[in-house]
Amino acid sequence: MPRTLWSGSLSFGLVNVPVALVSAVRDLDLHFRQLRAKDAAPIEVQRWCTEEDREVPYEEVARLFEFDDGGTVIVTDDELEGLAPERTRTIEIDAFVDLADVDPIYFDHPYLLVPAAENDGALRAYRLLLEVMGRTDRAALGRFVMRTKEYRAVVRAREGALSLTTMRMHDEVRSTEGIDTGAKGRAPKAQLDAAISLVEQMTVEWDPTRYEDRYRERLRKVVERKRKGQTIKVPEAAEEPAPVPDLMAALRESLEAARGGGGRKASKDGDGDGDDLEGLTRDELYERAQERDVPGRSSMSKDELKEALS
Amino acid sequence: MVPGPAPGRKDEPYAGASAARFPRRRTGTSRAMAPRSIWNGTITLGTIAVPIKVHSATESRTVRFREVHEPDGARIEHRRIGPDGEEVPYDDIVKGYEVREGEFVVLEKEEIAAAAGERSRLIDVEEFVDADAIDPVFFDRTYYLGARDDGDAYRLLHAALRRTGRAGIARWVFHNREYLVAIRPLDGVLALHTMRFHDELVDPGSLDIPAPSRKPTEREIEMAGTLVESLHADFDARTMLTDTHRETVLEYLDAKRHGKARKPEPPKPPEETDDLLAALQASLEAGGKR
Repeated sequence: MPRTLWSGSLSFGLVNVPVALVSAVRDLDLHFRQLRAKDAAPIEVQRWCTEEDREVPYEEVARLFEFDDGGTVIVTDDELEGLAPERTRTIEIDAFVDLADVDPIYFDHPYLLVPAAENDGALRAYRLLLEVMGRTDRAALGRFVMRTKEYRAVVRAREGALSLTTMRMHDEVRSTEGIDTGAKGRAPKAQLDAAISLVEQMTVEWDPTRYEDRYRERLRKVVERKRKGQTIKVPEAAEEPAPVPDLMAALRESLEAARGGGGRKASKDGDGDGDDLEGLTRDELYERAQERDVPGRSSMSKDELKEALS
Repeated sequence: MVPGPAPGRKDEPYAGASAARFPRRRTGTSRAMAPRSIWNGTITLGTIAVPIKVHSATESRTVRFREVHEPDGARIEHRRIGPDGEEVPYDDIVKGYEVREGEFVVLEKEEIAAAAGERSRLIDVEEFVDADAIDPVFFDRTYYLGARDDGDAYRLLHAALRRTGRAGIARWVFHNREYLVAIRPLDGVLALHTMRFHDELVDPGSLDIPAPSRKPTEREIEMAGTLVESLHADFDARTMLTDTHRETVLEYLDAKRHGKARKPEPPKPPEETDDLLAALQASLEAGGKR
């Protein structure tokens, strides 16, 4: 069971469900330690008081707020938590909304809620909320205070558990006003039709397991290579293609390539033969080329890589 | 996912005071103007190139504090200390990955950067998916994309995505790290979301949530359903995603500065529900309000 980050009560009308909040995200990143260059000794980051020039234990850390006129005031976390005593203990549901109406831009961090008590009443209340929300596409909108900050959150049923996602506040989302979209004017119909066909042609079913964190993998390989004393080559940045003068011609060309190719889907539907180069992206092909040490690979196009590897 | 060097969030402890009601003078961020772009590059789609610039779409407006030492109010500094108690200057620090306890592989900045790959100025759209099919848990941070040229290809992509309800899936190298991204139309612009990877999400099934000995009855579910419907409202970010606590905190700080702060009360734990049916009944009678 992941670590409890907050515990309290989920309150729905007069029904209170004791819950614990755990993160729904697992940190799989490779973490680096800071080391002293001369002897690779690990460094510790410590809090030091600039007045007394000594290390300060966390219990002695307070918060200073600076007003615009330079005036200051010092507060402690306990003081701040005391400002909304109920909300630090309760996730209060104020409304139910349709999940589809909430733009993803507002979603911040996902968590899961688990029952915080073993007694039957608590488990039944939890199950009740799960059942009710699972039957409709409604999501509950609630708010609570965690570590001196107020959060708005969406609570919903997801795969047999109550999921809670903290939300960005409305004024934390910038306006799209002033974002450059180029000259005015709509795309000509023929272009739009071709673009729609291209999008349709390149559409696959959303399946998150298709996408791996290649960065994480590559970083692991970099560490492995370095450990074996090999040198790590920094790849050169691929060139940026210039915008095409004839959009319609490029659309036609891309559409043809997408239709002709179609390999991605084919290989996906096939029994996953690892040697099938069809359907691999250029980066994936490049990685294989790297493994086989194909000369001149960094300047090769996708098709050239395929050719060199087959 | 923990986006390392992306703007905002934890890695700026000394950002100073900034809040809605007391806008910071020194930076004078104007909210009406488009924010400066943080990345330039090109979206490619087949042979079509869409030159774009990236802007942050969100900004934290949490009340910011500086860490001080409680007894004397002196500023706190984060210092890097070696095992012998010596302070180590920033320039003498390298990064190491612990492959075994106490055994570090030291990596140069450029070597870590090598993992980002070579497609550092391209966002190559590999495929499209139905935007509505993506569960919101996958979305991490959001950016707005602006056009860097006359925008013909930009607006064409926007229109095609809007018409089809699709999102483009691509990889994006930002601050030496590769992200999975979804590109979709949002109002009149293109938005780019960094995405969490499937293996980063905790499977809710793995939590082993205990079942109650007696399931909720149909009648309880029905009543809870009625309660849900009575509290149903159209989603409106403007009114529903507001931070009322921010105001409370700022008012408290202002009062404390002038020596007028009230003493905060200790929290009372809420009562646990014993009788589910009675609680539901009472909630319905109260119109869903506490």
